[in-house]
Amino acid sequence: MKLKIEAIATLTPGIRKFTLAPVDGSPLPHAGAGSHVVLEIPGPSRIWKNAYSITSAADAPAYEIMVRRVEKSRGGSAWLHDHAKLGDVLEVYPPQNLFAPQRLAKRHLLLSAGIGITPFLSYVRLAGLAYEFHHCCKPEDEAAFRALLPSGPQMTLHTSRHTLNLEALLKSQPLGTHLSVCGPESFMDMVLATAAHAGWPAAKVHKESFGGATGGEPFVAHMKRSGVTVTVGREESLLDAMEAAGLAPPCLCRGGACGECKLTVLEGVPDHHDHYLSEIEHAANDAVMTCVSRAKTPELVLDF
Amino acid sequence: MNTSRPLYKPFALDPSGLAHLIVTSLDTPPEGIEDSFDNIEVWTVKHAGPGVPVLAAGGIRPFRSTTEQLAQLGHRLGRMTAGLRFYAIGSEAFIWDAYNIAIAAGMHPSEIFLHRAGPFVRRVYCSHCRTMVEDVPANIVTCPSCEASLFVRDHFSRRLAAFMGVKVDAEVPGEVPAAEVFTS
Amino acid sequence: MKLSLKPQETYRDDYTFSNSDEAILRFPFPFPEDGYMYSVNMEPHVRGGATPVYDKVFDVDEHYIGDMADRAITLDQDPLRCQVLPHMETAEWDTLELLMESLANDYPEHFSLTKNGDKWHWINRPLEIDQTFTFGRKETLPYDPFEYITRQMQGDFSLQDQRDNNLYMDGGMVTSQADWSLNFDVGMSFHEWHGPVPLAHQAGVFDRALQYLLRLQYGKPVRRLNWTMTANPRLDTSPENYPLWGPEKAAITPENVGHRMCLRVELQTLHRLPRSNAILFSIRGYLIRLEELVKVKKWAVRMHRVIRDLHPQIAEYKGLPRYRQYVVDYFAPFDDGRTLNSGIAAEQDSI
Repeated sequence: MKLKIEAIATLTPGIRKFTLAPVDGSPLPHAGAGSHVVLEIPGPSRIWKNAYSITSAADAPAYEIMVRRVEKSRGGSAWLHDHAKLGDVLEVYPPQNLFAPQRLAKRHLLLSAGIGITPFLSYVRLAGLAYEFHHCCKPEDEAAFRALLPSGPQMTLHTSRHTLNLEALLKSQPLGTHLSVCGPESFMDMVLATAAHAGWPAAKVHKESFGGATGGEPFVAHMKRSGVTVTVGREESLLDAMEAAGLAPPCLCRGGACGECKLTVLEGVPDHHDHYLSEIEHAANDAVMTCVSRAKTPELVLDF
Repeated sequence: MNTSRPLYKPFALDPSGLAHLIVTSLDTPPEGIEDSFDNIEVWTVKHAGPGVPVLAAGGIRPFRSTTEQLAQLGHRLGRMTAGLRFYAIGSEAFIWDAYNIAIAAGMHPSEIFLHRAGPFVRRVYCSHCRTMVEDVPANIVTCPSCEASLFVRDHFSRRLAAFMGVKVDAEVPGEVPAAEVFTS
Repeated sequence: MKLSLKPQETYRDDYTFSNSDEAILRFPFPFPEDGYMYSVNMEPHVRGGATPVYDKVFDVDEHYIGDMADRAITLDQDPLRCQVLPHMETAEWDTLELLMESLANDYPEHFSLTKNGDKWHWINRPLEIDQTFTFGRKETLPYDPFEYITRQMQGDFSLQDQRDNNLYMDGGMVTSQADWSLNFDVGMSFHEWHGPVPLAHQAGVFDRALQYLLRLQYGKPVRRLNWTMTANPRLDTSPENYPLWGPEKAAITPENVGHRMCLRVELQTLHRLPRSNAILFSIRGYLIRLEELVKVKKWAVRMHRVIRDLHPQIAEYKGLPRYRQYVVDYFAPFDDGRTLNSGIAAEQDSI
């Protein structure tokens, strides 16, 4: 669907908020808590497709997203920060949800860092949701984040690692609590490790993959059935490269979570970055998630 | 292969838990747990028991009935914190009743471990009058309430902690095959 | 084509149900080939296709008034045929919105929905319902939202919560089921509620179907057809009421099989719900008496082959053995050994 940029706000030097409204004023598909949209972002030589959490309410007339300028940008966030202007029209795919709240949870412990705040902005809008929310950010960004967040005893902002005693927090949670975490990979890894140490079962710990692929060494992928060969550049994904070559491989989340883009590997060794395949499946090296994973060998041959 | 039938593993404590609550309908705790972990509490049943169930040495708390045990379980779990592992040992109906109390308290199935003990009998739900028939030893049983001859389908509801019973001679009254005793 | 609704028919006691010629020609015949085996036969639910019942998001047909009257009778006798677990309330509202919008959009002469913010106005002309209510406020409706709207739409429904990489049947409206019980199955995981189905587990059908459904996308519903046979056009073939309909199966004879026996087809559609991320599973049933079915030549021939060659375990699970031979014998005279085109289309324009 075509959405136009209706408003742009600079929240912090690195984060901008965009309001995306239908060009023709028609109602938007609902975006339930935890949903994301994929934007097509025009680049100089090709189109980028980036996924962003929707921070507006499910019934809002426009979607709001927040975009952090990525240091080693794949291109999309840089364009949104440097070139996007009011009235620009973007192709936006309908919202999908890979991070919906756990409806059986008695209580939600929400932990986020930096731009990882975004999915939880839709969570805390839900009527009657019992939650405790801790958000970590740089001191200079505190005011900007505080303005986005509800106030009250359930909400705590941390600008220093020392004010968040994670182990004590996790050990003191009532039995029916589920933990949801979003933020940089290192933050999520730390939270997950602490939760496991505190006796939390994996099934009560939920994380949104954020940021996804960070690029890597270029490699070549041969598509055996279609007879197409693509070169995957340092700053693009295998999926991006396949699409740029005119192929239409399956995909959904573009973040290594949903499993939709799994392809069979016939030759070569994939470099797995996804959260979908199990450790055993990773070790087998016979499948690759094209949206985030790359290659350890100079070439891959895929069944596509 | 029927995927609604629960499978039970031998009893073992989950080392990833920080605290362990074991509820058994037997009068003794499972063997070999004393030295294995800290923070273990065992709820047993001693029918001619000593009275009010107080915590005794070795973390053992004897109850006078499974009814008393289960009545206190939800209250107890409501005061527990993350990291608990819950275990139930006893008849299939008992352990799934306990399971449902733990689920209602917000536990996840992966925090709950069930171990069946005792004879191969089943609780059967009469589809027609909703009566629960306890300790059924074979695949055909008469409902004590509506008097239907029920065939016990190989279909188990965790929520009801029961197998499904459906009138065996609904099509031709009196056409009741021989019952087969449960061997699992 | 404008949809015309028949006056109330009955699905019990005197069984006045019958199909018009138009309804016979649009029947979703479920067998594209001469044999049948379980498979992951799911496809996108897009408009149009092999049968006219695919033309609308939710198909309404001439039996609408009778279907809804029969549901009301069943619910009056057993209110637990509709139950939704408490954590599914958002999915209830999602369902209400999806059904109201689809019906109003596809059948504007019969249904209308007007929204003014959260103040909604719903008109169902066939059932003479005119309801204003506040979306999200269940006290403004005469029933809870899921029950309210599924009392007004043909077919059974269940609500699936998605968690732990699985689907859980955490609610439903089930009054016209093929011998399964919502009260027994509510809360079950995907594999648990399919537990009694033979053969398909071993073939991995449910594993693959589950993986497919877990990825179901909002705005991209999917569908499949399923089938069984029912003695008399009875909607309520529930385990609860087996003592009522069981004797009717035993009363099938070679003489009455054509009139009484029905092929029962379910158009199953699955819809991702936006607010709750739950899945709405619509099980839209169609009944056709065998004597109606044989008016389509291709279907009569194919039915003979499918039922004759059906795997015994599938026949057993679907409850066919008692009268299977009568059905085969009924269709046998139509089967002249011709080769049939694959596909389910009737391949004739009139009866």
